[in-house]
Amino acid sequence: MPSQFRMIRTAAFVAVGAMSAFGLAACSSDAPSNGGDSSPVTISYLHRLPDGEGMTPVADIVKKWNDENPDIQVEATKFDGASGDMILKLETDINAGNGPCLAQLGYAEVPQMFVKGLVEDVADEAAEYADDFSAGAYGMMQVGDAVVGLPQDTGPLVYFFNATEFEKLGLAVPETIDQLASEAATSAASGKYLAAFTPDEAMYWLSAQSAAAGDTWFTTEGDEWSVDAEGPGSQKVAAFWQGLVDDKQVITTERWGEGFTQALNDGSLIGHVGAAWEAGFLLDSLDGTPAEGQWRVAQLPDFGAGQVSGPDGGSGVAVMKGCEHPAEAMEFNAWFNTQIDDLASQGLVVAANGTPQTSEKMLRQFGGQDVLAELATASANLNPDFTYAPGFASLTKMNETAAGVPDGTSTVADVFTTAQTTAVATLQDLGLPVAE
Amino acid sequence: MTLTTPATASAAVAVAAPGPTRRRRGRRRREAVTGWLFMLPFAILFVVVFLIPILVSIQSSLFAQQSAGDGLYGGGEIVDTFVGFDNFALAIGSQTFWAGMGRVVLYAAIQIPVMIIAALFLALLLDSLIVRRPGFFRLAFFLPFAIPGIIAAMIWLYLYTPEVSPFMQYLPEGTDLMAPGTILFSMANMTTWTYTGYNMLIFLAALQAVPRELYEAARIDGASGWQIATRIKVPLVRGAALLAVLLSIIGTIQLFNEPVIMESANPWMGKDYTPMMLTYNSLLGAVSPSGTGIASAYSVLMAVIAGVLAIVYALLQRRRGEAA
Repeated sequence: MPSQFRMIRTAAFVAVGAMSAFGLAACSSDAPSNGGDSSPVTISYLHRLPDGEGMTPVADIVKKWNDENPDIQVEATKFDGASGDMILKLETDINAGNGPCLAQLGYAEVPQMFVKGLVEDVADEAAEYADDFSAGAYGMMQVGDAVVGLPQDTGPLVYFFNATEFEKLGLAVPETIDQLASEAATSAASGKYLAAFTPDEAMYWLSAQSAAAGDTWFTTEGDEWSVDAEGPGSQKVAAFWQGLVDDKQVITTERWGEGFTQALNDGSLIGHVGAAWEAGFLLDSLDGTPAEGQWRVAQLPDFGAGQVSGPDGGSGVAVMKGCEHPAEAMEFNAWFNTQIDDLASQGLVVAANGTPQTSEKMLRQFGGQDVLAELATASANLNPDFTYAPGFASLTKMNETAAGVPDGTSTVADVFTTAQTTAVATLQDLGLPVAE
Repeated sequence: MTLTTPATASAAVAVAAPGPTRRRRGRRRREAVTGWLFMLPFAILFVVVFLIPILVSIQSSLFAQQSAGDGLYGGGEIVDTFVGFDNFALAIGSQTFWAGMGRVVLYAAIQIPVMIIAALFLALLLDSLIVRRPGFFRLAFFLPFAIPGIIAAMIWLYLYTPEVSPFMQYLPEGTDLMAPGTILFSMANMTTWTYTGYNMLIFLAALQAVPRELYEAARIDGASGWQIATRIKVPLVRGAALLAVLLSIIGTIQLFNEPVIMESANPWMGKDYTPMMLTYNSLLGAVSPSGTGIASAYSVLMAVIAGVLAIVYALLQRRRGEAA
């Protein structure tokens, strides 16, 4: 259950937070090396991949590397907690001089880490491997002229739908948001909903839609940041959802609350605009029910910018400040992130080129569809210009505003206004130049 | 209070016992060393987990994390810059901080009296010998406190969520226990459930230190059970009540577990719903301005406010005690 997952994560996050606050968090131990010529280089790597049941554990993938590369030994450690807490741990450890060499960072976190001076510029090493990865994803690990690591996975928005129900209602897979809106009106009349508006995901979900509509929020004008979260794309997204919410033609519920799962289980929710990585677990609660195998995944409907998707999540592996062997670390980094079948088993839409094998579970849940091929197409369609600025984490404020949309105390347009004012204020607070 | 307990009386006698001056001085020194040795474990922990972190916080609140260079990414490095009281100026001028403070003060004003009265009532009940098995009830009332706060908060979150709650279906249609108007009460209910038993123990310990002879004397004078409770027991546990209320005020200002868990399901609350959440999320960068400097300033400010409230309450109580 995703909500349970989220809550356990929250619990872990608080526990870890409390522990590090009291200085009890285990220090990452650097393996003592005897300094001899033949002694292998040790690379520590901190990740937060799920390592769930039926997945190829990170430890197994790393073991393969270690067996083949006696000179570069990698120690992988899993961080059990939310990404925000992992950043805090990294910051504390790196400043104390015992940070890991490699760590997983969300794309939106990369600029912030760079501003804080917690990552290394490995542009020279990275250039060697750039061709193995999708250009858009590679760009996410770039900060100005610096490159801090390699991309791991992407989170393009896609459209999930129940094909059987669509057929019953005589609906076609929506190719544009106008089509989606008109079909939503039709199906809502018979108690079926083609999408859910999820306030608790507003930050990444709505910014990704804005990107899909062709907007870029952060650009540079000379030496200054220019923030535009309320551009024509955002306005289009706002109008689209506002209409559906006002006419009660979509379900409004928290993505990670019980309401979403219930709507999915009772069959009232038959479509969902979601991130590609949701394919890994979205349909779990339908296993063993008549709806098993009825769902499919399609490209995101056209938001007005053509066949373009936007980034809802995704992360890469960056080289941390103070890493003594960045070249070796990048060698492993490149190898690890091109193990596409193993990484796909972790539920990732890989950033490396090539299409991994769709797992048995996905084949079963999606009626035999080659899900990963579809997701790879979405990944290739990501708006390449949409990047993040430092301090993006503070845009979680969008979720607060979005929570008022269902009962009408705020509008979807207000959510983008919140994004605009928060982003500008945060950049100013960070002391970075920003154009008003 | 004018009562002198037997223990302190006998200690006074022991110290006053006559003896040769030199021997007495030697023994005193030995006693002092023994005393300090007994103090040592406490003193070390007090310094390490209390004084040092406080001093570090105060020091850190005087620094801000600023970019070392210019450009879009500030030169890619952050330096700690001494800014004097700038962080405090920011914190004191922050509307979100005071909004959060307002919430926890309102929360305290409602929750603490309810909890303290309930705890006192339960303690009097257990002390009154009406209950057959006080040991069992003592443990049962205390048990919620033994459940880790986060786990308790998660259980309550489930209980409050209409789709999975076992009792929400029996409440009137449309009841929302996690709406802006009700969530403070819902969280107050969680805290009360957790801490009533704990505070009951404080009262019970105070009650059981009261010499039983007092009750006998009162009974001989014709006092009823009710009169013994209200005229003798309640006044005698005033000191314990003071302690319980002070601890509750300090705890409530730092309200964290409950709102964090509630926020995970109710994003409208925001990352700055209580001052403690604001502090933590400033540290994480989910709230701006961010960094250890401003976060430390918030926490020092919270400590000062909690201290002031506690002192004001203690002074008011003392004046009332003197007047009585």
